[in-house]
Amino acid sequence: MMALEAVGMTVEAGGRALLLDVSLRLQAGRVLGIIGPNGAGKSTLVKACAGLLAPTAGSVTLLGRPLANWPARERAARIGYLPQHFLPHWDYSVRELLRLGVERGGTRTVPTTVAAAALAFELQPFLDRRWSNLSGGERGRALAASVLAPAPAVVLADEPAAALDMGQAAALMMRLNAQAAAGAAVAIVVHDLNLAARWCDRLLILAGGQCVTEGPASEVLCSPALDDVFGVRLERLIARDGTIVLVPCSTVDVETDGEEG
Amino acid sequence: MTAGLLVLGFIAGLLLGAETLSPAEAAALLGTPEAPLAELILAWRLPRVLAAGCVGALLALGGAVFQGVFRNPLAEPYLLGSAGGAAVGATVALLVALPVPGAVALPLLAFAGAWGASWLVLLLARLAGPASIAALLLAGVAVAAVLGAVRSFLMLALSDETVSLQAVLSWSFGGVQTPSWGQLGLLAALTAAALGLCHALARGLDLLGLGEAMAEGFGLPVRRFIAGAVLVGAGLVAVSVVWGGLVGFVGLMAPHLARWRCGPLHARLMSRAAAIGAGLAMLADGAARSLLPPAEIPLGLVTALIGGPFFLLILAREARRG
Repeated sequence: MMALEAVGMTVEAGGRALLLDVSLRLQAGRVLGIIGPNGAGKSTLVKACAGLLAPTAGSVTLLGRPLANWPARERAARIGYLPQHFLPHWDYSVRELLRLGVERGGTRTVPTTVAAAALAFELQPFLDRRWSNLSGGERGRALAASVLAPAPAVVLADEPAAALDMGQAAALMMRLNAQAAAGAAVAIVVHDLNLAARWCDRLLILAGGQCVTEGPASEVLCSPALDDVFGVRLERLIARDGTIVLVPCSTVDVETDGEEG
Repeated sequence: MTAGLLVLGFIAGLLLGAETLSPAEAAALLGTPEAPLAELILAWRLPRVLAAGCVGALLALGGAVFQGVFRNPLAEPYLLGSAGGAAVGATVALLVALPVPGAVALPLLAFAGAWGASWLVLLLARLAGPASIAALLLAGVAVAAVLGAVRSFLMLALSDETVSLQAVLSWSFGGVQTPSWGQLGLLAALTAAALGLCHALARGLDLLGLGEAMAEGFGLPVRRFIAGAVLVGAGLVAVSVVWGGLVGFVGLMAPHLARWRCGPLHARLMSRAAAIGAGLAMLADGAARSLLPPAEIPLGLVTALIGGPFFLLILAREARRG
């Protein structure tokens, strides 16, 4: 059974299709990267899978049961949604933020789980710090800890690394991988193709609201469709551990390049 | 500080008045409960102080609910027009001969007015984008101005120089009348129920503070919750307006002071805000009775004098934070 399965998702807004007949399967223990140019519908896809957007057509099944049939709180405990932008309206402390994240799972042992999450995300020194006094990296960690604390079966992350520096982004991708290793099904919208190359098992290319291709990361990264959707010729290099590294070619090279990869 | 303010407000409310007592005089009166002055205080001042406390607590809870729903520390029933809506409803109830008794029509129409005005501001502010302070305040100011004009028009058009116009006028400036013990019991019961309802809303308001998408993701049915919270908020405002008229800024100050003390989580906030609101209202009511003896200043005037500058202070802070 798939942890989460979306079939034929279409989302329309203002007479325009943001998403057209996209299907997606998330398997426990695996990390799916969703890539594509800006405006491709990546955030829409993630929101629809999380049940935050009602699709015009198509359906989402969470752990074998239609998403709409889950009581809101039980669904919240099983899906960890990491939004692209997050700014709380009140100046919550890290501890309060973690509590809100942990409590959604209906856990009886809230303080224990909060402490465990703080430990896992190295947040103990900041527990009583308020949001306004956190750095960007600390904010990212606090938000991820709050969302991931109840160990949701499905993790849907919408460009979680967008505001992080390279080290923080790598650390976050490793944490999401650790969630998958612990049994979660993970989908991540990734802007940086090299993060996707190293930390995703499978990749889905989305362009113009439609799925261009979906498959194992190494295959998708070598597919010429990737160059097409981003409108740039990419050079594929192989890192020492076998991971593909993508480098955009300068426009001068576009015509002459051909044999690399 | 919270309990201190509550006790201070209560004692000050009992001592202050057209005849202000010193603590020593009050202590002496405690020994002679049959003295006329002691009876005056027990029969007249005590219920009024307690009523003012309840009204203050309701305003504070209403403010806390509206601030939570609008996710804006400047949201306040008086500034947002909710109280103005309740006042229009109450004015209609007081001045129009209705087929139902006034005791039923007054709270019902006040509630309908508060509810309608709250939604109007909520929808207007939503048009301008989420959580925009400027849009919310401007929408609130516009709605409050229109409602004020409607109320004035109704008063002019419907009055026939009977006592009712006088009643509406003095009540629109804000002020608590001395209730009977039975009335006071009803008000206290309503205040206790309000506190319970607000506690039930606490978790949802906390989640809403994370933003609508996150709140939904954390299992809060956002639309249904907001509709319910506005209903509760309008109920609180209606009860406070029926008993205390238009009293501004208590609903702004009390949740704010409480948040400074205990942080933004609403479960801790509600009872503290209610206590602070009660203390503030009892103090302000005492001041209203004692500043110009034997005349009384409207309560709303006293709270506006304190609350207006407080509001500007927060506005400046919020503007600096962006």
